[in-house]
Amino acid sequence: MSRPTQPVERTVAVIMPAHNEASVISGVISHIPSTIDGMAVIPIVVDDGSDDGTGDAARDSGALVVRHLTNLGVGAATITGCRAAEELRADIIVTMDADGQHDPGEISSLVRCLVEGPFDAVIGSRILAPHGMPLSRFGANLLLNAITFAVYGKVVSDSQSGFKAVSREALGRMKLNASGYEICSEFIGEIHRNGLRYKSLPVKAVYSRYSQRKGQHFLNGVNLILGMLMRLVRRV
Amino acid sequence: MFPIFVKIFSLVLAAIAISKSYVDFRARTESLQMFLLWTLTWAAVVIVALFPTIVDFILAYSGSGQAGLGTVFGMGLVFLLFVVYRIYVKLERVEQNLTKTIQELALKGNWLEKR
Repeated sequence: MSRPTQPVERTVAVIMPAHNEASVISGVISHIPSTIDGMAVIPIVVDDGSDDGTGDAARDSGALVVRHLTNLGVGAATITGCRAAEELRADIIVTMDADGQHDPGEISSLVRCLVEGPFDAVIGSRILAPHGMPLSRFGANLLLNAITFAVYGKVVSDSQSGFKAVSREALGRMKLNASGYEICSEFIGEIHRNGLRYKSLPVKAVYSRYSQRKGQHFLNGVNLILGMLMRLVRRV
Repeated sequence: MFPIFVKIFSLVLAAIAISKSYVDFRARTESLQMFLLWTLTWAAVVIVALFPTIVDFILAYSGSGQAGLGTVFGMGLVFLLFVVYRIYVKLERVEQNLTKTIQELALKGNWLEKR
């Protein structure tokens, strides 16, 4: 697959933080559309210290690859991807999971919603299309929505969604620095802090055995809550 | 009187800490000063665990005889919480610096051409 490296008019950068996703990353990249309404789409994989050849697999599939020397966490990888997209001067930045939980075909919906809105950010919400979502995840997401509200003062339907689209201008106003999963809540907090226009768009999540194994676990959830609470304490 | 398991527990922990410190010192990842500091600190812990009455003796000698063992351990707990807080802050700072360094390295160079 041949993709443009230099921005041609308007571009969409699709950022995928990836840690040991060699077995699925090629499949995900191959389903990303190469253009959306005339805009070139550039997949950027942030290889977050993988040791299974994730970066090579992504590069062979046509993605740009930025590699962390060691595993920093999904938040740090997302921020690196955002900086790479800024260097490319991408007009729209999409973030999505590399484990196949998100349908690359829905990138177009997010981008169109952002452009036609007009909005500054669009959040793909699994809660608005919960078909197939395990009940435990549904409950955990609601709990994390409540904690996100307590910490950042904003209620959204799916505060933990990694499937988002944001304009370059809006991203430039955000101050993101979370290293771990709390990046999602921090993103919501930055929408609120900057008074950005946003919309939650229903997206389906694919809960395969692989994505469930790779996704957030109970301990990740505990770390996420602790991370957010520490941020709350630091702000007081 | 300290129960025997507290004494054994303190001895085991001290043995682990001092041996770990010694291994690090031999591997030149820890300075002689740090090795001596940890050895003396843990030696003091072992002495207090084995002979807790020494605390009463020290308090009486220093003119704080009414403070008692509970007060000393209470102060010790507060001090430990302070140490944990300082370690947390420093760890956070180191983690942030490490993250920034790795991110800068990742974006340096010709990642655009590496296709």
